[in-house]
Amino acid sequence: MFNGLLKKLLRVLKRKKVIKLGFYGPVNAGKTTLANRICLDWLGTEVGRVSEIPHETREVQKIENVVVRTNNGTLRMNIIDMPGIATQVDYRTFMEYGLDEEEAKRRAKEATRGVIEAIKWLDNVDAVLVVMDSTQDPYTQVNVTIIGNLEARGIPMIIVANKIDLPGARPERIENAFPQHVVVPISAKTGENIDKLYEAINKYLT
Amino acid sequence: MEIKMHFIPAEVLAGMRTVDKINMIIDSIKKNIIVVLEEGLTPQEEAELIEATMREIDAENFHGIEFFRVDKRNKSLREKLADKIAGRKSGFMIVGPTRMIEEIKKETNYVVMLARVDELCRINAQNAEESMTKEQKK
Repeated sequence: MFNGLLKKLLRVLKRKKVIKLGFYGPVNAGKTTLANRICLDWLGTEVGRVSEIPHETREVQKIENVVVRTNNGTLRMNIIDMPGIATQVDYRTFMEYGLDEEEAKRRAKEATRGVIEAIKWLDNVDAVLVVMDSTQDPYTQVNVTIIGNLEARGIPMIIVANKIDLPGARPERIENAFPQHVVVPISAKTGENIDKLYEAINKYLT
Repeated sequence: MEIKMHFIPAEVLAGMRTVDKINMIIDSIKKNIIVVLEEGLTPQEEAELIEATMREIDAENFHGIEFFRVDKRNKSLREKLADKIAGRKSGFMIVGPTRMIEEIKKETNYVVMLARVDELCRINAQNAEESMTKEQKK
């Protein structure tokens, strides 16, 4: 706990002009859709491919020097879009989406490497957006492990309750599961509440 | 139908290095044994467990793990202090092969673990066949 506080204090003292903002979360939570939304808003272009097939993002994607202007100032960040964290990868899941066996096995291998890479990056980010799907139960071990690791390292975070445009979305479940953290409900797909997220990043993560 | 579980007491875990705990868990899981740790791993150890799992995954035999650490959510400062004094680090943890475990989740007063019965039957049949082959070779 004290280690975490010390790290937070050091972070404040060493406040950076450009923050390395990592996007973490389980598979298919909408991390790349969010990265695309931010880049579309501020760079005018999308950067990553999204699909309904799990583990579409299998390598860390870096988008450098994104400048976001909010009512409270300007923030500069390098976005690091991570592969989704998972505890299992079964190639047969990919075959259900129409991939042949060879392609599915290759994708599974790449997905396992992606998870390892994302975990390694925990030591290299300044702040994190933990992206969760508001239609799913938030109290999963993957979410708990991600948040526990960020807390232990003293890395500031915002939880993004994504997919609020979907009928089954219940962002309040995420707020109830992690009341000690700032939760911002958004739809990365439609852009709903995205300005609130920019304000929150400026307020809590810089 | 057979389910094998190993219960590991906190005092045994206390004497183990992280790498040893993780190797013990992965070895057991690859033998289709469910492991219950009296004292769960730390978040950093959990991340290492996920990393180790990813390295071990192979398309045919091992697809990963399911695990769940049962901790009281949002402990008060007093409860945290009581844990510190008692030397308690975290709640218990269940880890099992994803092949056998559908889901582990916490309800209000208990933890539910759903097993894949069809897969368990397949594993038992496979084990029986392997034993028979060994016997025949003898």
